Amino acid sequence: MTFAKTAATPQIISVIQGEYAVSDQPNVTMSTVLGSCIAACLYDQNRRVGGMNHFLLPEAKTGDGQNVKYGAYLMELLINDLLKMGAQRHHLRAKLVGGGKMSQLLGDVGAKNIEFGRRYLINEGIPIDWESMGGVQARRVHFYPTTGELKEKFVQNDAQIDKPAVVARRPKRQSNVELF
Amino acid sequence: MALRDSLKVLVVDDMPTSRGLIVQALEEMKIWKNSTENNGQTALERLSKEPVHLILSDMNMPVMDGLELLRNLRANRATKGVGFILVTGKPTPELVAKGRSLGMNNMIKKPFTTAQLKACIEQVVGPLA
Repeated sequence: MTFAKTAATPQIISVIQGEYAVSDQPNVTMSTVLGSCIAACLYDQNRRVGGMNHFLLPEAKTGDGQNVKYGAYLMELLINDLLKMGAQRHHLRAKLVGGGKMSQLLGDVGAKNIEFGRRYLINEGIPIDWESMGGVQARRVHFYPTTGELKEKFVQNDAQIDKPAVVARRPKRQSNVELF
Repeated sequence: MALRDSLKVLVVDDMPTSRGLIVQALEEMKIWKNSTENNGQTALERLSKEPVHLILSDMNMPVMDGLELLRNLRANRATKGVGFILVTGKPTPELVAKGRSLGMNNMIKKPFTTAQLKACIEQVVGPLA
Protein backbone atom coordinates (compact mmCIF):
# COMPACT_ATOMS: atom_id res chain seq x y z
CA MET A 1 0.00 0.00 0.00
CA THR A 2 1.37 3.37 -0.97
CA PHE A 3 0.32 6.83 0.09
CA ALA A 4 1.51 9.45 -2.34
CA LYS A 5 3.75 12.16 -0.95
CA THR A 6 2.73 15.74 -1.44
CA ALA A 7 4.84 17.10 -4.23
CA ALA A 8 4.41 19.55 -7.07
CA THR A 9 6.38 17.49 -9.56
CA PRO A 10 4.72 14.63 -11.46
CA GLN A 11 4.88 11.40 -9.54
CA ILE A 12 4.29 7.93 -10.92
CA ILE A 13 3.26 5.19 -8.53
CA SER A 14 3.76 1.69 -9.85
CA VAL A 15 1.08 -0.66 -8.55
CA ILE A 16 2.31 -4.24 -8.70
CA GLN A 17 0.32 -7.45 -8.28
CA GLY A 18 -1.21 -7.84 -4.83
CA GLU A 19 -0.74 -4.17 -3.99
CA TYR A 20 -2.85 -1.04 -4.10
CA ALA A 21 -2.42 2.71 -3.84
CA VAL A 22 -4.62 5.70 -3.05
CA SER A 23 -3.98 9.39 -3.57
CA ASP A 24 -5.58 12.82 -3.49
CA GLN A 25 -2.67 14.49 -5.29
CA PRO A 26 -3.30 15.82 -8.82
CA ASN A 27 0.33 15.31 -9.81
CA VAL A 28 0.11 11.55 -9.20
CA THR A 29 -0.28 8.94 -11.94
CA MET A 30 -0.79 5.30 -11.02
CA SER A 31 0.76 2.90 -13.46
CA THR A 32 0.62 -0.84 -13.97
CA VAL A 33 0.94 -3.55 -16.59
CA LEU A 34 -1.75 -6.22 -16.70
CA GLY A 35 -1.93 -9.63 -18.29
CA SER A 36 -4.55 -11.90 -16.73
CA CYS A 37 -4.64 -9.64 -13.67
CA ILE A 38 -7.34 -7.07 -13.05
CA ALA A 39 -6.90 -3.50 -11.90
CA ALA A 40 -9.90 -1.89 -10.25
CA CYS A 41 -9.61 1.89 -10.38
CA LEU A 42 -12.00 3.58 -7.94
CA TYR A 43 -12.50 7.29 -7.54
CA ASP A 44 -14.70 9.98 -6.06
CA GLN A 45 -14.69 12.92 -8.45
CA ASN A 46 -16.36 15.20 -5.91
CA ARG A 47 -13.64 14.67 -3.30
CA ARG A 48 -10.96 14.22 -5.98
CA VAL A 49 -9.47 11.07 -4.52
CA GLY A 50 -8.87 7.77 -6.20
CA GLY A 51 -6.97 4.54 -6.07
CA MET A 52 -5.98 1.44 -7.95
CA ASN A 53 -5.45 -2.16 -6.96
CA HIS A 54 -3.92 -4.96 -8.99
CA PHE A 55 -4.91 -8.51 -8.31
CA LEU A 56 -4.97 -12.02 -9.68
CA LEU A 57 -7.27 -14.40 -7.94
CA PRO A 58 -5.26 -17.51 -7.14
CA GLU A 59 -6.58 -20.73 -8.61
CA ALA A 60 -7.41 -21.94 -5.12
CA LYS A 61 -7.51 -25.69 -4.66
CA THR A 62 -9.99 -25.13 -1.85
CA GLY A 63 -12.59 -23.88 -4.32
CA ASP A 64 -13.90 -20.60 -5.65
CA GLY A 65 -15.15 -19.50 -2.21
CA GLN A 66 -11.60 -18.87 -1.04
CA ASN A 67 -10.87 -17.00 -4.27
CA VAL A 68 -13.74 -14.64 -3.62
CA LYS A 69 -12.58 -14.07 -0.02
CA TYR A 70 -9.12 -13.10 -1.26
CA GLY A 71 -10.48 -10.79 -3.93
CA ALA A 72 -12.98 -9.20 -1.56
CA TYR A 73 -10.19 -8.58 0.93
CA LEU A 74 -8.10 -6.73 -1.67
CA MET A 75 -11.06 -4.66 -2.79
CA GLU A 76 -11.96 -3.81 0.79
CA LEU A 77 -8.45 -2.56 1.59
CA LEU A 78 -8.68 -0.15 -1.35
CA ILE A 79 -12.18 1.05 -0.49
CA ASN A 80 -11.37 1.53 3.20
CA ASP A 81 -8.31 3.66 2.44
CA LEU A 82 -10.27 5.75 -0.06
CA LEU A 83 -12.90 6.41 2.60
CA LYS A 84 -10.18 7.33 5.10
CA MET A 85 -8.80 9.80 2.55
CA GLY A 86 -12.19 11.50 2.31
CA ALA A 87 -14.04 9.65 -0.44
CA GLN A 88 -17.74 9.14 0.09
CA ARG A 89 -19.01 5.66 -0.39
CA HIS A 90 -22.06 6.69 -2.45
CA HIS A 91 -19.88 8.78 -4.79
CA LEU A 92 -17.43 6.01 -5.62
CA ARG A 93 -17.28 4.96 -9.26
CA ALA A 94 -15.12 2.34 -10.95
CA LYS A 95 -13.15 1.53 -14.04
CA LEU A 96 -12.11 -2.08 -14.57
CA VAL A 97 -9.28 -3.17 -16.79
CA GLY A 98 -7.30 -6.36 -17.51
CA GLY A 99 -8.25 -10.03 -17.40
CA GLY A 100 -6.62 -11.05 -20.68
CA LYS A 101 -6.20 -14.65 -21.77
CA MET A 102 -2.45 -14.72 -21.94
CA SER A 103 -1.86 -18.35 -22.84
CA GLN A 104 -3.79 -20.77 -25.01
CA LEU A 105 -2.39 -23.67 -22.99
CA LEU A 106 -3.52 -22.53 -19.56
CA GLY A 107 -7.09 -22.08 -18.38
CA ASP A 108 -8.80 -18.73 -18.78
CA VAL A 109 -7.75 -17.24 -15.45
CA GLY A 110 -8.56 -13.79 -16.76
CA ALA A 111 -12.24 -14.69 -17.21
CA LYS A 112 -12.54 -15.66 -13.53
CA ASN A 113 -11.01 -12.36 -12.54
CA ILE A 114 -13.36 -10.45 -14.83
CA GLU A 115 -16.37 -12.22 -13.37
CA PHE A 116 -15.23 -11.53 -9.83
CA GLY A 117 -14.51 -7.84 -10.49
CA ARG A 118 -17.89 -7.16 -12.06
CA ARG A 119 -19.83 -9.18 -9.50
CA TYR A 120 -18.07 -7.54 -6.56
CA LEU A 121 -18.75 -3.98 -7.74
CA ILE A 122 -22.39 -4.75 -8.57
CA ASN A 123 -22.82 -6.35 -5.14
CA GLU A 124 -21.30 -3.29 -3.44
CA GLY A 125 -23.40 -0.88 -5.48
CA ILE A 126 -20.39 0.84 -7.06
CA PRO A 127 -21.19 1.85 -10.66
CA ILE A 128 -18.78 0.69 -13.36
CA ASP A 129 -18.22 3.74 -15.58
CA TRP A 130 -15.97 2.00 -18.08
CA GLU A 131 -14.24 -1.29 -18.58
CA SER A 132 -11.72 -2.84 -20.93
CA MET A 133 -11.35 -6.50 -20.16
CA GLY A 134 -10.53 -9.78 -21.82
CA GLY A 135 -8.77 -10.21 -25.15
CA VAL A 136 -5.38 -11.82 -25.63
CA GLN A 137 -3.06 -8.88 -25.10
CA ALA A 138 -1.39 -7.34 -22.10
CA ARG A 139 -2.18 -3.76 -21.22
CA ARG A 140 -0.20 -0.85 -19.86
CA VAL A 141 -2.49 1.36 -17.79
CA HIS A 142 -2.15 4.89 -16.44
CA PHE A 143 -4.75 6.08 -13.95
CA TYR A 144 -5.15 9.63 -12.69
CA PRO A 145 -6.73 9.28 -9.23
CA THR A 146 -8.13 12.76 -8.74
CA THR A 147 -9.98 12.88 -12.07
CA GLY A 148 -10.68 9.21 -12.68
CA GLU A 149 -9.12 9.47 -16.13
CA LEU A 150 -7.60 6.22 -17.38
CA LYS A 151 -5.36 5.54 -20.36
CA GLU A 152 -4.55 2.08 -21.63
CA LYS A 153 -2.18 0.84 -24.25
CA PHE A 154 -2.10 -2.71 -25.54
CA VAL A 155 1.28 -4.38 -25.64
CA GLN A 156 1.95 -7.37 -27.86
CA ASN A 157 4.00 -9.61 -25.64
CA ASP A 158 6.23 -9.75 -22.56
CA ALA A 159 9.19 -8.30 -24.42
CA GLN A 160 7.28 -5.08 -24.99
CA ILE A 161 5.85 -4.75 -21.52
CA ASP A 162 8.85 -3.05 -20.00
CA LYS A 163 9.63 -0.77 -22.90
CA PRO A 164 8.98 2.93 -22.31
CA ALA A 165 5.61 4.03 -23.66
CA VAL A 166 7.21 6.81 -25.68
CA VAL A 167 10.50 6.22 -27.46
CA ALA A 168 12.53 9.33 -28.20
CA ARG A 169 13.28 9.61 -31.87
CA ARG A 170 16.47 10.93 -33.35
CA PRO A 171 15.87 14.35 -34.87
CA LYS A 172 15.71 14.42 -38.62
CA ARG A 173 18.76 15.89 -40.21
CA GLN A 174 17.89 19.36 -41.47
CA SER A 175 20.98 19.96 -43.53
CA ASN A 176 24.22 18.42 -44.57
CA VAL A 177 25.93 19.78 -41.50
CA GLU A 178 26.67 17.07 -39.00
CA LEU A 179 26.11 18.03 -35.41
CA PHE A 180 28.21 16.47 -32.67
CA MET B 1 -28.06 -30.40 21.34
CA ALA B 2 -24.79 -29.08 19.99
CA LEU B 3 -23.67 -25.55 20.81
CA ARG B 4 -23.87 -24.52 17.15
CA ASP B 5 -27.61 -25.28 17.16
CA SER B 6 -28.31 -22.66 19.83
CA LEU B 7 -25.54 -20.14 19.15
CA LYS B 8 -26.86 -16.74 18.05
CA VAL B 9 -24.36 -14.67 16.07
CA LEU B 10 -24.50 -11.08 14.87
CA VAL B 11 -22.28 -10.16 11.90
CA VAL B 12 -21.45 -6.45 11.62
CA ASP B 13 -19.79 -5.25 8.40
CA ASP B 14 -20.48 -2.35 6.04
CA MET B 15 -19.46 -4.27 2.90
CA PRO B 16 -22.25 -6.52 1.60
CA THR B 17 -19.77 -8.94 0.03
CA SER B 18 -17.79 -9.33 3.26
CA ARG B 19 -20.98 -9.73 5.28
CA GLY B 20 -22.16 -12.40 2.89
CA LEU B 21 -18.85 -14.25 3.03
CA ILE B 22 -18.89 -14.37 6.84
CA VAL B 23 -22.49 -15.59 6.92
CA GLN B 24 -21.64 -18.19 4.28
CA ALA B 25 -18.74 -19.44 6.44
CA LEU B 26 -21.06 -19.62 9.48
CA GLU B 27 -23.56 -21.62 7.50
CA GLU B 28 -20.81 -23.98 6.38
CA MET B 29 -20.24 -24.58 10.11
CA LYS B 30 -23.99 -25.22 10.43
CA ILE B 31 -24.48 -22.11 12.55
CA TRP B 32 -27.87 -20.99 11.33
CA LYS B 33 -29.02 -18.37 13.85
CA ASN B 34 -27.26 -15.44 12.23
CA SER B 35 -28.23 -11.83 11.75
CA THR B 36 -26.39 -8.94 10.12
CA GLU B 37 -25.96 -5.20 10.54
CA ASN B 38 -23.89 -2.72 8.56
CA ASN B 39 -22.34 -0.63 11.34
CA GLY B 40 -21.84 -0.46 15.09
CA GLN B 41 -24.73 1.91 15.73
CA THR B 42 -27.35 -0.25 14.03
CA ALA B 43 -25.81 -3.29 15.75
CA LEU B 44 -26.36 -1.70 19.18
CA GLU B 45 -29.97 -0.88 18.28
CA ARG B 46 -30.62 -4.48 17.21
CA LEU B 47 -28.88 -5.92 20.29
CA SER B 48 -31.16 -3.95 22.60
CA LYS B 49 -34.08 -5.96 21.16
CA GLU B 50 -32.41 -9.20 20.08
CA PRO B 51 -29.52 -10.34 22.31
CA VAL B 52 -26.90 -12.67 20.81
CA HIS B 53 -24.09 -14.83 22.19
CA LEU B 54 -21.37 -13.74 19.80
CA ILE B 55 -20.55 -10.74 17.59
CA LEU B 56 -18.26 -10.87 14.56
CA SER B 57 -17.48 -7.27 13.72
CA ASP B 58 -15.48 -5.58 11.01
CA MET B 59 -13.14 -2.80 12.16
CA ASN B 60 -13.60 -0.01 9.58
CA MET B 61 -17.23 1.02 9.24
CA PRO B 62 -19.04 4.32 8.83
CA VAL B 63 -21.02 5.83 11.72
CA MET B 64 -19.52 3.53 14.38
CA ASP B 65 -16.45 1.33 13.89
CA GLY B 66 -15.68 -2.03 15.47
CA LEU B 67 -13.73 -0.75 18.47
CA GLU B 68 -16.36 1.85 19.31
CA LEU B 69 -18.99 -0.87 19.15
CA LEU B 70 -16.87 -2.97 21.52
CA ARG B 71 -16.47 -0.03 23.92
CA ASN B 72 -20.25 0.46 23.99
CA LEU B 73 -20.91 -3.24 24.50
CA ARG B 74 -18.58 -3.49 27.48
CA ALA B 75 -20.02 -0.33 29.05
CA ASN B 76 -23.56 -1.72 29.06
CA ARG B 77 -24.58 -4.22 31.72
CA ALA B 78 -26.84 -6.11 29.31
CA THR B 79 -24.14 -6.63 26.68
CA LYS B 80 -20.84 -6.55 28.57
CA GLY B 81 -20.53 -10.35 28.58
CA VAL B 82 -21.22 -10.95 24.89
CA GLY B 83 -18.45 -12.63 22.89
CA PHE B 84 -16.68 -10.27 20.52
CA ILE B 85 -14.40 -11.18 17.62
CA LEU B 86 -12.87 -8.36 15.57
CA VAL B 87 -12.54 -9.09 11.84
CA THR B 88 -9.95 -6.95 10.10
CA GLY B 89 -7.71 -6.82 7.06
CA LYS B 90 -5.03 -4.89 8.94
CA PRO B 91 -4.38 -6.31 12.42
CA THR B 92 -1.69 -3.84 13.48
CA PRO B 93 -0.08 -4.25 16.93
CA GLU B 94 -1.80 -1.01 18.00
CA LEU B 95 -5.19 -2.33 16.96
CA VAL B 96 -4.62 -5.65 18.74
CA ALA B 97 -3.53 -3.84 21.92
CA LYS B 98 -6.49 -1.46 21.77
CA GLY B 99 -8.92 -4.31 21.17
CA ARG B 100 -7.52 -6.31 24.07
CA SER B 101 -7.68 -3.35 26.42
CA LEU B 102 -11.35 -2.88 25.53
CA GLY B 103 -12.19 -6.53 26.14
CA MET B 104 -12.05 -8.13 22.71
CA ASN B 105 -12.23 -11.93 22.96
CA ASN B 106 -10.47 -12.77 19.72
CA MET B 107 -9.41 -11.38 16.34
CA ILE B 108 -9.24 -12.82 12.84
CA LYS B 109 -7.48 -11.43 9.79
CA LYS B 110 -9.14 -11.29 6.40
CA PRO B 111 -9.04 -13.24 4.18
CA PHE B 112 -9.71 -16.34 6.27
CA THR B 113 -10.85 -19.87 5.57
CA THR B 114 -13.94 -21.36 7.14
CA ALA B 115 -11.69 -23.65 9.21
CA GLN B 116 -9.76 -20.65 10.55
CA LEU B 117 -12.97 -18.84 11.48
CA LYS B 118 -14.32 -21.98 13.16
CA ALA B 119 -11.15 -22.31 15.25
CA CYS B 120 -11.34 -18.61 16.16
CA ILE B 121 -14.99 -18.94 17.27
CA GLU B 122 -14.33 -22.13 19.26
CA GLN B 123 -11.56 -20.36 21.19
CA VAL B 124 -14.25 -17.98 22.44
CA VAL B 125 -17.36 -20.12 22.90
CA GLY B 126 -15.97 -23.67 23.10
CA PRO B 127 -16.53 -26.67 20.78
CA LEU B 128 -19.41 -26.10 18.38
CA ALA B 129 -20.35 -29.76 17.99
